[in-house]
Amino acid sequence: MVPAEIIEFLSVLIYPGFIFIFTLAFFYEWVDRKFVARLQNRYGPLYAGPGGILQPFADFIKLLAKEDITPRAADKTTFRVTPILMLALALSTLFFIPTAYTTAVSWFEGDLIFVTFLVSILVLITLIAAWSSTSTFSTVGGIRVVLQMLGFEIPMTIVMVGPAIVSKTLSITNIALWQYTTGHYFAIYQPIGLIVLIICLLAEIKKAPFDIPEAESELAAGWITEFSGRKLALIRLTTDVELILAGALVTALFLGGPTGPFGIPSVIFFLIKTTGVILVISNLRALFARFRIDQMLGGFWKYLVPLALLQIILVTLGVG
Amino acid sequence: MNVVKWARSKSPWIIHFNTGSCNGCDIEVVAALTPKFDLERFGVLLKGSPRHADVIVVTGPVTNQVKERLKRVYEQMPSPKFVMAIGTCACSGGVFKDCYNLCQGVDKVIPVDIYVPGCAASPEAIIDGAAKLLKKISG
Ligand code: SF4
Repeated sequence: MVPAEIIEFLSVLIYPGFIFIFTLAFFYEWVDRKFVARLQNRYGPLYAGPGGILQPFADFIKLLAKEDITPRAADKTTFRVTPILMLALALSTLFFIPTAYTTAVSWFEGDLIFVTFLVSILVLITLIAAWSSTSTFSTVGGIRVVLQMLGFEIPMTIVMVGPAIVSKTLSITNIALWQYTTGHYFAIYQPIGLIVLIICLLAEIKKAPFDIPEAESELAAGWITEFSGRKLALIRLTTDVELILAGALVTALFLGGPTGPFGIPSVIFFLIKTTGVILVISNLRALFARFRIDQMLGGFWKYLVPLALLQIILVTLGVG
Repeated sequence: MNVVKWARSKSPWIIHFNTGSCNGCDIEVVAALTPKFDLERFGVLLKGSPRHADVIVVTGPVTNQVKERLKRVYEQMPSPKFVMAIGTCACSGGVFKDCYNLCQGVDKVIPVDIYVPGCAASPEAIIDGAAKLLKKISG
């Protein structure tokens, strides 16, 4: 008989822990790149593995094997630690959202608030990373990251409360299970909330219409300009994990999480639903050009905050 | 096959540097990245920062003014790094050969791995050069 501690340890390490999430992260980056390429009438990655499926993995290995430069002017300790911290934060956020099983790796009543908190901390760590590299491009990029957070954070938090009010629980796992048991899927009953959440998550993971902090035509590579080698590999992995995070959050709050009929393993439903969400995100990425900073902030405050409030008012009036 | 070599040959990220080109070659480099020719098939991504890049794609003869900057950008790239000289100008100075204000080609300033001649080098030639560079990397 294997002791329970070992099983728990393996579940954090392999399934549904680190190895599972990393594989999924590479897979979804490939899905994203390939889908955008097909929308633009290109092939996208093609020669690394069948259909280019190993492309993100090749990128990762290459970056790990490259020289790792720490600029002389950088704040060395912070510069080295922040990429690791970012990955750790993104992973621990994902542990509170149900992925492979119907319950998350770890959950408690109130983890919805905790997850919003972790997401904001992730943004602040990004600012510290940018600041510690002391290059002008990174600093301006870092400031833009926080500016973007001022836009998306409020409407995102407001719409995430919607499902919690109706299902009368503050735990993401329970919200997902509640939708399955009652058949009351919030994607149908709170469509405004779903749209607002997806747009805000797009800004959170800094994808195309909101890639203002990385704006390569203005800022070299924005806040990641000075990172190279292993640090860049970790940052890219974090970006991919954040992509899963976005997919998993929408899935859990609005699509009923990794649940479904016919006794099919819950991970299958998770994969189907998250892939759907990620395809929507990639589609938006291919569709829009980058917004200006004022358009982004104005758009969030003028349109998304009122829409989010409208959704909450509808919910409290009993619609949704 | 060695995993690291495999990864390197599958994911060359490029940075584009204009050292005084007439813009003819730059347009062709950009054309090679657009949907019609799609260099992303080989894993090529255009990066904004030299810290992220593996391959520096240089177009144009190196003018005396840009020489130091070319060196600095090259030194900012983490090794292993590779250089592609695109266009006859970048290979030897081309039509501007023996001008008083030039260094006559990229290889007078930094070591070049692949020369792609042509005025302007066509996207097909650039893709051919990229494929040869990848073969050299995985070599
Ligand atoms: S090779 Fe021809 S097209 Fe290219 S930069 Fe020189 S003159 Fe211009």
